[in-house]
Amino acid sequence: MLTRRVLFTTALGVASVPLFAAAGHADANDQAASFIAKLGKDLVDIVNGPGALKDKQSALAQIVDRDVDISAVAQFCLGRFWRTATPDQQREYTELFHRVLVNNITSKIGDYQGVTFAVGRGVPREDAIAVTSSVTRPNNPPNRVDWLVSMAGGGPKIIDVIAEGTSLRLTQRSDYASFLSRNNNNVAVLIDAMRKQADQPG
Amino acid sequence: MRVSVCPSLFAAAVTAMLVLAGCAAKPNPSDADAVADYNEANDPLEPTNRVFYAINNGLDTVLVRPLAVAYRYAVPQVVRDHTHNVLDNIGAPVTLFDDILQAKPRRAGDSLMRFVVNSTFGVAGVFDVATGWGWPEHDSDGGMTLAMWGLPEGPFLFLPVLGPTNPRDAAGFGGDVALDPTTWIGRGTIVTALSYTRYGLSAVDARERVLDDIDKIKAQALDPYATFRSLARQHRKSQLEDASQDEPHTIPAWFPQRAVPSGSTPPSQ
Repeated sequence: MLTRRVLFTTALGVASVPLFAAAGHADANDQAASFIAKLGKDLVDIVNGPGALKDKQSALAQIVDRDVDISAVAQFCLGRFWRTATPDQQREYTELFHRVLVNNITSKIGDYQGVTFAVGRGVPREDAIAVTSSVTRPNNPPNRVDWLVSMAGGGPKIIDVIAEGTSLRLTQRSDYASFLSRNNNNVAVLIDAMRKQADQPG
Repeated sequence: MRVSVCPSLFAAAVTAMLVLAGCAAKPNPSDADAVADYNEANDPLEPTNRVFYAINNGLDTVLVRPLAVAYRYAVPQVVRDHTHNVLDNIGAPVTLFDDILQAKPRRAGDSLMRFVVNSTFGVAGVFDVATGWGWPEHDSDGGMTLAMWGLPEGPFLFLPVLGPTNPRDAAGFGGDVALDPTTWIGRGTIVTALSYTRYGLSAVDARERVLDDIDKIKAQALDPYATFRSLARQHRKSQLEDASQDEPHTIPAWFPQRAVPSGSTPPSQ
């Protein structure tokens, strides 16, 4: 009897695991989608809102810090060279990556005047959740933008943006990889080049 | 975003490519990560490709980009948009042929209706009324047709004028030129002049539409060539995925839809 009950309970337990897992997925998907919806609203409010360009840029930089997992993206973009870099180089690279990313994003703010944003669903993709969205600029057809949201490491964070099928982190990684392969795989040269980029005005 | 060029220029470009072909140094086979990067880039002809990138970039800097900037400065947005619509509509028959060759009847239906509606109600393509009526635009070309027929993409190529591509897309481009009715509609001076005007205008229109994006990429990338290569290949892959997954209805949204029980096939008429 005991054996049968144990077996039955175990079977029930095993059977219900996928159910609970599916429920957990659905929650995470919704959470990721509402996270991106909030981000989209914040971005549109800043870009289309009143205020000086300087204020808008610093507000945008704060959102990037809040919602993007900078160190994860930075590490991904350095690819196989992350392991060969010294801890000092990793730290300096990540810091410069952050500055360059924020510069690149905030310098585009003028192009997005009048932008609208519609968020779709979240679906699991590669250990993360992809949230689809449609971004429309005036006089342009809508652009499909997918946001890759990671739930790992405490709360939703963006780890990639895929605009019209092109992943920003993959593109950045191939840029760095190619640059490094033409500079003897020397991470120090990359860091110098990034420092020049970061010091350029927007 | 394609730039149309005349076939003879294209043939010259391919010949030059073959003559100058040089190979990239392969990474040390014991370095698995380096080999993976090399394979991912799919660019064994990189040294040659970089030469053509430099030539293209030079031509762009002194000729094409200034033309695109002038076009944007001189021509109001509304006129540019309608010009773009007209050029799209002239290209619609080729899109239709490619949809048919890809065995995509619903996409072909969209293309056919776009051409018919925009050529008539849209006043020779000036207005894109078809999109609003439920026949939206989609990407379709000879390279995609060959891909759906199972042809491999081949190595990455950077060709003069044509830009980032691969043998499959280049062959598809040649096929599209051959399929284009405007290639065959006569040989008079006026026809030739019109066709050069179309190619020139297409190039300037396509360049103007990516003016800001390309300026930004060139300013922000450490290796613009590698960045363009990555962007072009990713974009192409996503276009192909969209096309192979897309099965839109031929019936527009406002047309009374016949109720079909889910899981059953609609009765044929």
